[in-house]
Amino acid sequence: MIELRADELVFAFPEVHPGAQATVNFQRTLRIPDDGKDYPLPPGLGRFPLRHVDDFGRAVPPSWIEHGGVLLPMYQAEALWLSFQGNYLDEHEAYYRIALKIATGKINAVSGQPWRAGLHRRPQDYVVVPEQPWLDGYCVEKGIIRQFVAMPLGAGYTAEEQVTGKAEFGGLQIMAIPMKRDVFERHFPKVPTRPIVREPRSSVICFSAGGSEMGLAPGGRMRQEISEDPFDLADWDLEHASRCFIHICNSKDWQAITGEQPPTEPPTAAAYTKAGMPWFDYYSEREAVAGSKVLAGLQSVATLGRRRRKKPLPENETVKVDRVINLRPVQLKGRVREYIC
Amino acid sequence: MNETFGRFVRRRREELARGRGGYSVRKMAAMLDIQPSYISKIEREEVKPPSEETIIQMAQVLEVDQDVLLALAGKVSADLRGIIVKRPQLFADLLRQIREAPDHAILRVVREIRDGKW
Repeated sequence: MIELRADELVFAFPEVHPGAQATVNFQRTLRIPDDGKDYPLPPGLGRFPLRHVDDFGRAVPPSWIEHGGVLLPMYQAEALWLSFQGNYLDEHEAYYRIALKIATGKINAVSGQPWRAGLHRRPQDYVVVPEQPWLDGYCVEKGIIRQFVAMPLGAGYTAEEQVTGKAEFGGLQIMAIPMKRDVFERHFPKVPTRPIVREPRSSVICFSAGGSEMGLAPGGRMRQEISEDPFDLADWDLEHASRCFIHICNSKDWQAITGEQPPTEPPTAAAYTKAGMPWFDYYSEREAVAGSKVLAGLQSVATLGRRRRKKPLPENETVKVDRVINLRPVQLKGRVREYIC
Repeated sequence: MNETFGRFVRRRREELARGRGGYSVRKMAAMLDIQPSYISKIEREEVKPPSEETIIQMAQVLEVDQDVLLALAGKVSADLRGIIVKRPQLFADLLRQIREAPDHAILRVVREIRDGKW
């Protein structure tokens, strides 16, 4: 089952294990310059609002009702990243593992292949939570992604349109698959009970922070590894997959559809950096997957714009990043990139 | 719910103190920016439970669900009140209908995100 709780998708599989759960939220962020340079991780500036499409039946395109799922608002040329959290089970001293398959316009963001059921290796077409804490874009090289940037569906920039030649689906698609219960319990057996000592919650840094249908397109380059699945393909319980369609609506139409104000536009990368705010780097010891040749062959929004003699990305100047905070996996439980304001 | 607000706060605070320390009445009072004697009186139930705002802060410090703590104090959070007040007849009817239902049946009422035809 999938629930919407506080602008977060909660994928839960109580029929597999009471703790089989993972959450996904969509973080507002800076658009990194699309200038061929490799940037560190930009911050999270809070969650995008998420709403059930069923609540706005007459105000959204009929295909959205057909697809079901949720909708979120993005400005044209705005970026986002996906934040993943696992469910920590004290009695196992481990997170319940969940595999997540992520696509934009039904093109897999890790493998570049068209949407298909199940999980695959060679190339791997999913990420594992909590091994993978986030995903900022398309996996174009080993250790490099191209940032997810919202562009109007039909303008030819989205990954979907570049791969299939059609502007059919747009948005994002996520499928979650839990680890098989017996496999989880074998890998992470229960430990003798003792007083629960939770880590104190660290203080959260607070930063004050065409048509309506949008898709995601490849933007600037960012250093980010997509971790290889450390488990066996047979360890995943494919009989209990859940999937969700996330439609992207242009922020300028959000109020007309939902009656709510959309979030404000994020600062530019230049303004953020000039204000002395931090960027992030994250290293883990895990092996990373190789980039997808299909995704590596996509034209970035700025490149495609230049070829068309257009300027689809305002404020795309190169930024010199001086302040970078290095994150380690051990810190992720308490300190993360996203700020809750 | 047989537990009272004061007894619950004391039991939870002592549980945390045993687990990791740093949860004396004095330290908890400092975290909440209130007098230690006030915490002692709350725990001994010599005073009424504090304001909604303080209870929500206490729930964070004690790492418990704020709605559970508010309920022990005989209160309902402002956001839930807002939801009911917006559509009183609908929610009053819903709550009366499900008040005797077992937990598993109520959990089925939780709204799932609908998956359609892709």
